[in-house]
Amino acid sequence: MKWKVLIWLAVSLGLVLFPLAGAEGYYYRILSMIYLWVGLASAWNLTSGFTGYIDFGAVGYFGIGNYATALLMTRAAVPFMPSMAIGGVLCGLIALLIGRYTMKLRGAYFGIATLAFAEAAKQIVLEFDRTFRVRLFEGSHGITLPIAQDEVFFYYVFLTVSGGIVLGVFLINRNKFGYALKAIKEAEDSAELAGINTRRYKVSAYALTAALIGVLGGINAYWLTYISPLDVFSVMHTINMIIMALFGGMGTVFGPVVGAFVLSMANEVIGSKLLYTYLMMLGMILLVVVIFLPRGMIGLISRKRIRR
Amino acid sequence: MALFLQALITGLLMGGVYASYSSGFSLIFGVMNIVNIFHGELIMVGAFTTYWLFSLYNVDPFLTLPASIVSAGLLGYLVQRALINRVVEAPPMISYLCTFGVHLILANLALLLWSADFRTVTTSYSGAGFAVGPLTIPIARLVTFVIALATTFGLYLFLEKARYGKAIRAASQDKEIARLLGIDIKKVYALTFALGAAITGLAGGLLSTYYVIYPQMGLPYTIIAFCVVVLGGMGYIPGALIGGLLLGVIQSLTATYLNSGLSVAITFILLFIFLVLNPQGIVGKGIVE
Repeated sequence: MKWKVLIWLAVSLGLVLFPLAGAEGYYYRILSMIYLWVGLASAWNLTSGFTGYIDFGAVGYFGIGNYATALLMTRAAVPFMPSMAIGGVLCGLIALLIGRYTMKLRGAYFGIATLAFAEAAKQIVLEFDRTFRVRLFEGSHGITLPIAQDEVFFYYVFLTVSGGIVLGVFLINRNKFGYALKAIKEAEDSAELAGINTRRYKVSAYALTAALIGVLGGINAYWLTYISPLDVFSVMHTINMIIMALFGGMGTVFGPVVGAFVLSMANEVIGSKLLYTYLMMLGMILLVVVIFLPRGMIGLISRKRIRR
Repeated sequence: MALFLQALITGLLMGGVYASYSSGFSLIFGVMNIVNIFHGELIMVGAFTTYWLFSLYNVDPFLTLPASIVSAGLLGYLVQRALINRVVEAPPMISYLCTFGVHLILANLALLLWSADFRTVTTSYSGAGFAVGPLTIPIARLVTFVIALATTFGLYLFLEKARYGKAIRAASQDKEIARLLGIDIKKVYALTFALGAAITGLAGGLLSTYYVIYPQMGLPYTIIAFCVVVLGGMGYIPGALIGGLLLGVIQSLTATYLNSGLSVAITFILLFIFLVLNPQGIVGKGIVE
């Protein structure tokens, strides 16, 4: 459909040209934050939404990405871009190793194992220095990064990376890799019988998700200029990724984008003043979506029906 | 040697506390295949019931325990009846997300109502203990330990022998056949949840006499309950006791000889390794999907 392509081109062009409008810094921060969450929720969705393996420890890779970039920049004076890339690759490699084992587990066991991984990573970063009497992660003091570039720079970095992630998920959704992942969600054993090497696909998706989240973590560190284990390894990040993807529509391409947009706006408007009310509202949204709209907001607007 | 023995006893008693609030988690998982993420909030509700009765009406914490049992049990029953029973036919993931939503609502509602303050239930016998040679044994934890043993044993007997316990086991083994035999599945589920929640509330009431309580205490407890139950075997009731004691001793020994922050890291690494190598738990009787 031609007009659909045109709309997408117009939206992308609008976002790319936005800084020409000369808006205040506040708007760049809001949009950068939205892009960050669009990227995180989409990356999370690639593994968990497509395969149905719900990852409760995605924040582990976010934290590792943050720390990799921060340490490379402050300790080894590596420039930002290579640091961010190395952080992503590192997360991907760790995920290949972790995924080899966790991806054998199913349902609740996978969820708990991933949660344990993220919590262990947090505790190690928190306690490493004190235990081994070195100065590496700085424990709960956190790390301060060099003063960042201007807001427009981060606007474009987030736009490029998150836009790339959404485009990537869009392409994966239509190719063999995407079909294999969805087959795993529908009926893993049958997919295996049909000759799909399910383990390889699952672990690849998991590593790809981890690498993307790691890259976003690296940008986050440089953007905020100060990181601490309790912030960047906070389980709230995982919770947000899950709820955004679920709210918009898990396993769809644009669901997490819609969810991330709506919920990060809601967080900005309500969450900054009434945090507890906002979190309660998230809980209620979760219940309503899970019980009444299992396909999320996208399922509401989409005319396609699932045949049973 | 005295240091080692004291660490061992502290660990065993801590393990008793872990076991006391983990067996309900194991029961709910074993019967309904639900990972109950608001488990910690049941502990919080039990603890706050004791706290309010104690601070407003001066009721002794050990006398408020029935109230803690009833409040947490009722909450569990209502959540199962009103929400989770609607999604019993859906994939298990849906029910976890449901309990997760309930966790967010309860933890933040409690924060709004009671503020984030740390609270304690301080009685005349708080902190009291008796000495055995060079070792001290705190009384309140010893009582928890004994109650944990009793509830685990009682729950085990109930499931093995009682008519209702048999209905619960039937429902957990084969939902469809149990339904054909005339068992009302949704009612059994609601009562199982209430039972699991009630023993959890009891543990919450007990631990409020020696731990600090606050509205957001729940999630760390849920995570420990995960660890305990995985170590002992998910859904295997005596496993909660075995896993609890094991975890308590390991944590106490690492905290004594290394440092206490590291003992948390070790808990999670252990949990991870255990899940990957041996998801049936240490005695091999846990349920694996």
